Amino acid sequence: MSTLRNVAIVGFAQLPVVARDEHRISTEMLYPVVRQALADCGVERDAIDYQIAGSVDYMDGRPFGFVSALDVMGSWPPRQDLHLEMDAAFCAYYAWLRMQTGDCDSALVVGHGKTSEGEPDRVLNLQLDPYYQAPIGLDPTSSCALQASAYMARTGATDTDLAAIAARNRAAGARNSDNQVRSAASATELQKTPWAVEPLRKGYLPPVGESATCMILAAEGKAEKLCDRPVWIHGTDHRTEMQTLGARDLSRSASAKLAGEKALAMAGLSRASDADVVELYATTPVEELIVCEALGLDAKAARPVINPSGGPLCAHPIMSTGLVRMGEIFRQLSGRAGDRAVANARRGIAHAMQGHCLQQNLVWVLGTERRWS
Amino acid sequence: MNEPPQEPVKYVESKVYLPYDYIAGDYKARYLAALKDKRILGSKCSQTGKVFVPPLICSPESFAPCTEFVDVPDRGVITTFCTVNIPVIGRDIELPYVAASVALDGAAISIFALIQECKPADVRMGMRVEAVWRPDGERHGDHQDILYFRPTGEPDERPESYINRL
Repeated sequence: MSTLRNVAIVGFAQLPVVARDEHRISTEMLYPVVRQALADCGVERDAIDYQIAGSVDYMDGRPFGFVSALDVMGSWPPRQDLHLEMDAAFCAYYAWLRMQTGDCDSALVVGHGKTSEGEPDRVLNLQLDPYYQAPIGLDPTSSCALQASAYMARTGATDTDLAAIAARNRAAGARNSDNQVRSAASATELQKTPWAVEPLRKGYLPPVGESATCMILAAEGKAEKLCDRPVWIHGTDHRTEMQTLGARDLSRSASAKLAGEKALAMAGLSRASDADVVELYATTPVEELIVCEALGLDAKAARPVINPSGGPLCAHPIMSTGLVRMGEIFRQLSGRAGDRAVANARRGIAHAMQGHCLQQNLVWVLGTERRWS
Repeated sequence: MNEPPQEPVKYVESKVYLPYDYIAGDYKARYLAALKDKRILGSKCSQTGKVFVPPLICSPESFAPCTEFVDVPDRGVITTFCTVNIPVIGRDIELPYVAASVALDGAAISIFALIQECKPADVRMGMRVEAVWRPDGERHGDHQDILYFRPTGEPDERPESYINRL
């Protein structure tokens, strides 16, 4: 008998991603989303034990901005709370860990960040070391391009391959009303877009935007009361690797590979392709190819369906992009995916990453049935 | 030009430049715009009726939405204060001066305020104060539109009236 607890996603809400919400500050975007997630579960705030938020104050430039989020998370009477300067998917991981220790049965996980108020490229440059990497002005696009060159040199992948991946995401994303970019684009069209940083074209880059997201997690016993079709966590793992780009094989993701293996083992699966649907936090086609390789997936195969939401190439609300991947699998497996539903989806994989060139990777294996009896 | 440094490199100067372009948000935008007209806006909790100044989207206490905006008077009570004896960057005020929390009449929480037109030693909790506004035509819809608060001369309030509005 396993000592792990069954924990499920029981609710998810997000604002449609936009480039800039002129009318709402971060807290004003977050409040309706928290209300909606709770309303979908049919409970008031008091029903949830624990809360955790993912945001970075550098993003919207308000010192202790994460503290102001407490006002709209329902933090009275005093709650157990934590804040991570990471994508909210990593907050979900932390909440899952807390539930494994048995000290809470339910958790509110939120992600927020006004990317339009600051300059994300400048902020994300600060993730690099201040001596060698940050001063030369590396931003996520240029570090992704370094990675793309390394991957293309090793595998022989071409510009056409990248365009095909981007086109698949864009076609799928046109059906998702939460996306910032909702127009399909053919591979031919995308291959005509100018270089951003060669070998990456503008058409292969994500539209950075802003949103607010809220997920509710609950352990067995409580989950069934909050949701008619909970989506159970079968396995999860989080791995990180070196910050120094030059010390890693940028053409591969060792941490995604290991996290995938561990998460699949926890889920009792031998291979990732046993999933029906996969959502990847890949901000470029090359990241998608690298993560697919690491997880043992074929990016061109019809099944599992990869990124039915359109993926980060159609909406990239920094701090929530990873949680949206989990939210999409929740929608797919709980009958909430509408006209983009993947037929007979019973098992899914959600992936989240942080840092330059896939430095940190988090893998979730999710299913419609309880994992442990 | 390209000679090696004579002294070992001990420090790296690394300047961080992060520009921001803030929006006020609907609630604060309405609050700031109203200051131009010498009005102070609060938002009202739909559950408890408590009024928050500046306006909040929801009550941090009840978690219920604050959907209604209400005017509050530009006068209230000093709930707590301190006497500042050191210069503060960006503030050119004769020392010492009093910085106070002022709960405006009808508001459930207090705002920060500069107290002038009285000796710091005369300021006390419970003292009634009123706003002194910038003259007409000089208000821009920001917090500087209220120059400071000054004593009204009314009798002090009793602690019960403001102790939960600090």
